[in-house]
Amino acid sequence: MRISYEWLSDFVDLDGVTPKEAAEILTRQGIEVESLTIVDLSQIVIGKVLEQKPHPKSRNPLWIHQVDLGGRVEQIIAGAPNAVAGSIVPVALPGTAVPNGKVVKDMNIAGERAHGMLASAAELMLGDDHSGILVLDRGIPGDPLTTVIPSQAIMEAEVTSNRPDCMGHLGVARELGAGLQRPLKRDFMPAFTGGADPPGREMVKVTIDDPDLCSRYIGGVITGVKVGPSPDWMQRRLRAAGVRPINNIVDITNYVLLEYAQPLHAFDLALLSGPAIEVRRARANEKLLSLDGVVRDLTADMLVIADAKRPVALAGVIGGEDTAVSDETKDILLESANFNGPSVRQTSRALGLRTEASARFERALPPELALAGARRAASLIAELAGGKVHRDWADVYPRPQEPVRVNLRPALIDEVLGMHVPLEDSEAILKRLNFQVNVMADGEWDVLPPVFRLDVTIPEDLVEEVGRVYGYDKVPPTLPGRRHDSWTPLEPSIDRRLDQVREVLAGEGFTETWNPALVSGKELERLRIAAHAMRVENALSDDMDTLRTSLLPSLVHAVAVNRDRGRDEVRVYEIASAYLARVGEKNAQPDEPLRVAAVGTTDGSPDAGEKALRRLKSVLDGCVAALNGPASAYQRAAAELFHPGRCAAVVLDGRQLGYLGELHPTVTSGAGLEGRLVAFEIDLLPVLAASSVPRAQPLPRFPAVDRDLAVVVDESVTAGALLQGIKESGGDLLVHARAFDEYRGAQVPEGQKSIAFTLTFRSPERTLTDAEVDRVMAEIRLGLEKRHGARFRE
Amino acid sequence: MSDPLGLTTQALAAIGQARTDEELEKVEVEYLGRKSGHVSRLLSNIGSLPPAEKAALGKAANDAKRAIEAALAARRAELEAARLADLAETEAIDMTFPGPPLKRGHIHVLTQVRREIETVLESLGYKVELGPEVETEWYNFEALNIPAGHPAREAWDSFYFSPELLLRAHTSPVQIRAMQRIKEPPIYIINPGRAYRRDPPEATRLPYFSQVEGLAVDKGLTVGDLKGTLLYMIQSLYGRDRKVRVRPSYFPFTEPSFEFDVSCGICGGMGCKSCRHKGWLEVGGCGMVHPQVLRNGGIDPTRWNGYAWGFGIERMAMLKHDVDDIRLFYESDLRFLEQF
Ligand SMILES: [Zn+2]
Repeated sequence: MRISYEWLSDFVDLDGVTPKEAAEILTRQGIEVESLTIVDLSQIVIGKVLEQKPHPKSRNPLWIHQVDLGGRVEQIIAGAPNAVAGSIVPVALPGTAVPNGKVVKDMNIAGERAHGMLASAAELMLGDDHSGILVLDRGIPGDPLTTVIPSQAIMEAEVTSNRPDCMGHLGVARELGAGLQRPLKRDFMPAFTGGADPPGREMVKVTIDDPDLCSRYIGGVITGVKVGPSPDWMQRRLRAAGVRPINNIVDITNYVLLEYAQPLHAFDLALLSGPAIEVRRARANEKLLSLDGVVRDLTADMLVIADAKRPVALAGVIGGEDTAVSDETKDILLESANFNGPSVRQTSRALGLRTEASARFERALPPELALAGARRAASLIAELAGGKVHRDWADVYPRPQEPVRVNLRPALIDEVLGMHVPLEDSEAILKRLNFQVNVMADGEWDVLPPVFRLDVTIPEDLVEEVGRVYGYDKVPPTLPGRRHDSWTPLEPSIDRRLDQVREVLAGEGFTETWNPALVSGKELERLRIAAHAMRVENALSDDMDTLRTSLLPSLVHAVAVNRDRGRDEVRVYEIASAYLARVGEKNAQPDEPLRVAAVGTTDGSPDAGEKALRRLKSVLDGCVAALNGPASAYQRAAAELFHPGRCAAVVLDGRQLGYLGELHPTVTSGAGLEGRLVAFEIDLLPVLAASSVPRAQPLPRFPAVDRDLAVVVDESVTAGALLQGIKESGGDLLVHARAFDEYRGAQVPEGQKSIAFTLTFRSPERTLTDAEVDRVMAEIRLGLEKRHGARFRE
Repeated sequence: MSDPLGLTTQALAAIGQARTDEELEKVEVEYLGRKSGHVSRLLSNIGSLPPAEKAALGKAANDAKRAIEAALAARRAELEAARLADLAETEAIDMTFPGPPLKRGHIHVLTQVRREIETVLESLGYKVELGPEVETEWYNFEALNIPAGHPAREAWDSFYFSPELLLRAHTSPVQIRAMQRIKEPPIYIINPGRAYRRDPPEATRLPYFSQVEGLAVDKGLTVGDLKGTLLYMIQSLYGRDRKVRVRPSYFPFTEPSFEFDVSCGICGGMGCKSCRHKGWLEVGGCGMVHPQVLRNGGIDPTRWNGYAWGFGIERMAMLKHDVDDIRLFYESDLRFLEQF
């Protein structure tokens, strides 16, 4: 909200306190001042126009003014015609800068001398109006402008949602007074000034249909007002706060809103159908032409103010055009009410209309505030628009505000803050903030918060009041002292353990990415991986409406992003959760398996794909090994996203972790990519669960013997099957076996292939002889021959 | 050749002329070769000599052998010294020629920053706790003292799957779950993870982001302890000249509540362009845990109290590495990711 420094000084003495200092105090106390704009008017002088005539030669319409500056007369040219003779105007002389930054120079315009300029409100940053010269209602020629308009300082401040009282200048001034230890110049509750007959409650009869949505409705009556412009000072303050002046009555309601934070509305009493005012929900097909000129379709969850015939205002949001105060208005109904916050928010959202009033009601205003605002507005109307304030207003108050008392053990203040605050200081701070403090016999404090502070309900709230005014800067930083008889030993977090995986992948040239978990549901459907997808009901856009069920599409997208930016070879991975709905269980939280997925690019040829895939398989094995997991097995499989002939399920201890393979050509081309993509995606938690601390094995005491074996078999026999056969026949002496080459060609019959293995033999008890190894090799050959019809190449 | 002395003289001359190891090798074989070397051959007829001559010849041959061996070793050492002395010229290469590019992958900058934060807090005894991202309304709001219709809910506009289920708006639900599970304080935990709010993507915020929150529940904790913990963390991450300020604010789940700011690293708090002349950079929110929140976690607030804080990992990374657009973290652009 916009806070005017000058306005604050109505309520608290700011003598010797600069706007910057005031802003710092407010920020320290919890009203964060985000920017401070200072409008320095001390260079501007007051002038009186003696004579105005059109410029004789200029092509654009210009006017030449003779201006009395107190003892001397200068000629000044302006483009606006409103500074007629006799007007008192702000003048910027050559050499000065007006607040909006324009520097004034001595000039000659089409043969006429122009000594300085007449300033508009916009040029002086006193509002948005730049249509004409700002005409003052008083001022002595030659005096500085600040004798009638003080220099301005506007703070843009963020008020937290628990402090609706600070959505008005009075509340902000109270905070400032507490920080400065200066008294507030005005009581919260103004005196009631009404005395005219007949009593207001006989002229307006209020009923509240739904007390849950309206806990109080005050309908004040003021008759015989004279509608016209409000005084300059009021218009200026409204403009400074960003509100457009309309007429004195409307301006006063807005002014009180900016002072007390209580929204008000004035109806033209004569335009209401009868004395009955009903606060009720809108009925089917009801409409309202609102003050902003829009016809609003109302629904049954919107609360309206209605007369005998129709809705005349949307409660807490905006008034109606048909019953608005105009120049002809004589008698007014002044509404000061308390509407339910969530209901106002809902209406304001449904209509896409956020007003100063709705912004305040949304934060749950105290009903007591309605009375203070109404009284203040009534006395201003009587003072500035004449009129008689009637006695005994309608005040329907079905849900009176409960008084709150808080019991405070004052030692709690020191205990929570971790520093000593003298009791008298704590008490003084609470009193300056209008809390009543009664010290009871047992030393505890019985504290009564002011009626406008609904946010204070527990002792900790009072500690905060004291702390923020006394100054959190004074709290010495400490670390908690521990004298514990129980603790949880530190163990490496999952993420630190996964750093091992990151190292393996980094060594292979894979870069880690973080991708959004919200993706396009349509895309998941197109990829046929939407079976367990969870869709957001209120998505911001189609491309972020569903939780991803796999990390792979994000990585394919990452490849595309980098290809677009001229990178040919891309290797990326991500460690994150996928989200899998538990199908058939409404409102169940999904499974969120933590996964690692990697994607790498390669050329378009089948051979290149195969080679890259083999390499990636080693990388995946390396990742699992780095986590001290057991070696995983690979079983030919079919899975969405993957190439039907080049996909394996990754299996660890009989449990499927995920898949490794080439991505399906349609996935690659669907992302607009050329070449092939190799990829894997596995669940990590089972690997971590299966991981064990490596135990040192005794170093071998006897040398190993290596033998190669080239096995010729039919194409259908896999390396995995052969390895299994080798291991089964190899017995204890075979300590390691690995396939290292695959050959097809002249030396192998059509339809067959040759796979070369290297086998390592060792005994823990003796040096093996060639004869011993030969015997085992013969066993292995025999086994492979029987089981797979294998033959052997030398 | 039958004169040991002459043989020695000859051999030493040959050794002296040898220029390489290979030439020396040849000389060695020629003179000391086991069967056909000159010294061996000297002794080939020794069996037919009388005993006195036998002994004399034996000794002379041995002397010759030793002298030649010594000369060989000396010459070898000489040649090696000369070779080493000339290395600067004989084996010089262009040291400015660049190495082939290393295909090193990079760990995501957010992972790196999260790791640093976790390491610092683990050194204070905080333990990492994780929890689900798709949360129930109760854990995300009610348990944190934000009932339906609460005006503060505006600040946590969330993505819903159903009225009951939503993407967590902060990682705070993990704190409730941890209190319920651990039951008996002291509790010192941090909960890093992803969170979501319905804010359209722009340079300073995204609908998805990552947080690290911390929670301490113990006896007699104070605002001072909260300030000290934040200060220890910030100084460990950014250097010991940094200051931390807590500013009153409002969150339903803490009382008192604060925003915490870190002094600007560029101007040291004097005010400059990068801190928008405030001298301070906003980092996160914190406060003393509201008694009702402790109760919701199953902790008796008359026996224990607590403090908690939270901030965005992206924000910390932006401050540390001068990143000016939060979207860069999630765009997988290698040109960006490879800078860290
Ligand atoms: Zn700075």
